[in-house]
Amino acid sequence: MRSATIVRSLGVATLALFFLAAFTPLSAELYARLAVPARLAPADAIVVLAAGGVLPDGRLTDSSRRRTAFGIDLYHDGLAPLLVLSGAIQWRAESAARAALARRCGVPEAAILARATGRTTHEEIGALADLLRARNVRRVLLVTDGPHMRRAMGLLRATGLDVLPAPVRGVDVPTQPAERIRLFRETLQEGLALAYYHAAGYL
Amino acid sequence: MTPYLTVVLTSLVAYVFARNRRRLRTIELARALGRMADLLGTGVIFALVNVAAAVAIVLGLRAVTDRFVSLYSVADPVWLAVSMLQGCLWRLWHESQRDALC
Repeated sequence: MRSATIVRSLGVATLALFFLAAFTPLSAELYARLAVPARLAPADAIVVLAAGGVLPDGRLTDSSRRRTAFGIDLYHDGLAPLLVLSGAIQWRAESAARAALARRCGVPEAAILARATGRTTHEEIGALADLLRARNVRRVLLVTDGPHMRRAMGLLRATGLDVLPAPVRGVDVPTQPAERIRLFRETLQEGLALAYYHAAGYL
Repeated sequence: MTPYLTVVLTSLVAYVFARNRRRLRTIELARALGRMADLLGTGVIFALVNVAAAVAIVLGLRAVTDRFVSLYSVADPVWLAVSMLQGCLWRLWHESQRDALC
């Protein structure tokens, strides 16, 4: 095949993919295949994974705050006696800011374990598994965003823990083309991350 | 869906205007669509090369320095638009060179 034909075919395929992603349920279908449904049940600990650190003024990012709030809700629902708040190592203030938020929301100090655990999901899960084993935790409720859950859960299960998924956001059904494109991008990004983790031998 | 209905409407108006006022032929529209696919395809090639190079640089920096760079930094959607502009410019330059030789 001539290179000009390949380039044109690539252009046509991209255009077709764009219209399918923006104007059909393709994005939601792909996302549903990637996402893990919530399974909320009593566990030994609620583990909230890091999410983008803190803003320059020390406040949590929206994503980090959303995950923390969901973890606090699960704690107040009585699903586990321990709330583990992870934070990215390069933004050390994240775990401390999360712990402060949990305390303000009525979680007792003794029930909070806040640690800066890693720079990547792989590093973070490795450090968390050591922390959890040291506390004889066997079953955890894992809190992270929906697209990130499959990768994080796979890593944590590989350490021998029983993991119950508690995604912050379940399967959305976007109604607007811009929302579908955003969901398609998120799904593609996480799909590539999963492929990378498999290729690297982490999963 | 209102903005998309507007796109359909303005496309129809532009088509009628091009046919009646500018005397453009429909066959030329098919050729223009082909050229648009060429521009898009070239942009996609630039996007793929850019993302592969960016990932290689991030992983290389992690391997040879203590500095940590997140792979999420590669996921900035603006690079897609910039890659498309690269592709368009490359294609138009290529075609202008060919036209100059004719």
